[in-house]
Amino acid sequence: MATAEAAPPPKSSGENPILYVAKPLATAARQFMKSLIRPSTIVYPFERLEDPAFRDKVAVAAGKPIGVGHVWDNYRGVHALNIATCISCNLCAFSCPDLCIDMVTVPGGDPKHPKKCPQIDYGKCSYCGFCSDACPEGCLTMTTKYELATPKRSEMVYSPQKMNEIFERKLPMNPIRVERPSNEDAILLDVPLCIGCNACARDCPTQCITMLDIPKPTPKPGEKLPKRIWKEPVINDSDCVRCGTCISVCPKECLFWGTHT
Amino acid sequence: MWVNMGPQHPMTHGLWNLRVKIDGELIVDVDPEVGYLHRGIEKISEDRHYNEIITLMDRCCYVAGIAWEHVYIGAAENALHITAPERAQWLRVMCDELQRLASHIMWYAAFVQDLGLMSPFLYGMRDRDLILDLFQSFTGGRLTYEYNRVGGVRNDVPSGFTDRCRKVMDWLMDRFVEYDRLCLGSEIFRRRCDGLGVLKAKECVDLGVTGPMLRSAGVARDLRKDRPYAVYDRVEFDVAKADAADVTARYLVRMEEMRQSVRIVRQTLDWLDHHPGPVLADHLPRWLGAPYAPMGNEGYLLKRNFPRGTGFAAVEEPHGEAQAYVVNTGGEHPYRTKFRSPVFVNLSAAKHYMIGYRVADIPPIMGSVDICVGEVDR
Repeated sequence: MATAEAAPPPKSSGENPILYVAKPLATAARQFMKSLIRPSTIVYPFERLEDPAFRDKVAVAAGKPIGVGHVWDNYRGVHALNIATCISCNLCAFSCPDLCIDMVTVPGGDPKHPKKCPQIDYGKCSYCGFCSDACPEGCLTMTTKYELATPKRSEMVYSPQKMNEIFERKLPMNPIRVERPSNEDAILLDVPLCIGCNACARDCPTQCITMLDIPKPTPKPGEKLPKRIWKEPVINDSDCVRCGTCISVCPKECLFWGTHT
Repeated sequence: MWVNMGPQHPMTHGLWNLRVKIDGELIVDVDPEVGYLHRGIEKISEDRHYNEIITLMDRCCYVAGIAWEHVYIGAAENALHITAPERAQWLRVMCDELQRLASHIMWYAAFVQDLGLMSPFLYGMRDRDLILDLFQSFTGGRLTYEYNRVGGVRNDVPSGFTDRCRKVMDWLMDRFVEYDRLCLGSEIFRRRCDGLGVLKAKECVDLGVTGPMLRSAGVARDLRKDRPYAVYDRVEFDVAKADAADVTARYLVRMEEMRQSVRIVRQTLDWLDHHPGPVLADHLPRWLGAPYAPMGNEGYLLKRNFPRGTGFAAVEEPHGEAQAYVVNTGGEHPYRTKFRSPVFVNLSAAKHYMIGYRVADIPPIMGSVDICVGEVDR
């Protein structure tokens, strides 16, 4: 451990003390003169960085190299939701690391299968954008809206309708879409386990599962046929959004992720 | 007499407490207390999917988010036996260096404010904003980027980005001259900082101090050179170092590092211009595919034979050497993660570079350590 003895004071360079102040002040004065012509700040509530009409003006006014300083369209702000194209696939809620997305019923679905759209609690949201990346239909996107202050905490919960209003305002949407990988896993069927119960086809948000009849085998003498409906799900891979709803509703766990070989 | 400097004190830059034993004006003993900002990131990580931990890493250090993403991603990719495409590695190097610039400029702004200089603080914050604008143009976030993914990065940089970035780099190089003129050219600054907070090379090595503090003591230790990760073995740069081991030396090292970072960023931009390609690896496990939600049904996991392993990565973060360790036991979540924060070690060595100086010297010395409490406590 170091000993507690006072360190010697640093030596002076023998400069004229007036220069102590004058030299840095010369630099600061130059910046000050520049800022008189092009101030580095903007008048926030009246001028906004994300305003498209204002962009080039901001960049010049803020003393920045042109084309750099503004809020870009891919800013991750409050979500916009297009209820009309939402397919209730649950992927946004599954992908949320903070568990701030609830799927709530919105009017418009049929009574047996109510339409469910995301409701986001912005008190918990971390704006990571995983939900809009996961959205297969592109109906949940993030906008440049960032002002969220409310008098009540309960108003931080945005219902689907409220996010639909933001969508109708036509704010700039995040232009960067994450491409689905070409070699994605598909949902495969473990044929001997299937009982043909139709649960997967019933709950599929894209209706890409059809139940096809399969021939009922003729039992050999003494053999007992399994109790089941003689149907089997066939999944249309090009329509499938890989949400996995069918896997989670399957009572026999006979659907699983895999690659077609 | 023991004096508490913190948890709320202008010197502390975050929530921590420096207990100082003084005899008149002389510092006799110090005792740094941390833990006020502990969020249990390592424990939360055990319950999250591999990609979801990235959101925690951004909040680990709030001025060097993307560097911490790189630390974790390196370890996670090792544990999952995934290699990122070449272009993603170059993008990561570019992000690391831009982040180093942003972090060092933020350090400069905060450090000179500790000394009582207000104008350089404003200049620093203004210039850092340009780098945040650049980050936002391709990641979408200004502070929490969520840009890396296991197996690559989320998206490619948009067209026109490299030209904008070059403009900012040119602009910054001019600003560095101004920074030096304001600080090094000022006799007041030199008298305030010369010979303060000396921590010699041997003590640095004994205590595990890394980063600019170690390099300011004359040890040219830099993971980017000594243990190259990503594509650092393919870019040209020099390791900044100084010999005096005091506060001024740390200032010099960081300023030189910023110039070297600009040099690296320019090389990566040239490479990115001429080598288009994919930024995300193929054949990722199901729950790591970029746009996908992981599924909660454990049944299908049993049907997949997924490689297990442990991963380790060390990255030269703006503050020093950050390390991560990830244990993968074949599930969706890591079994255990461990992060080594450089600032925690640098801060713990406070007894060795604080004793013997005056009370008024505490802000410059602590400022020169570049403390980020977010990553000290994790």
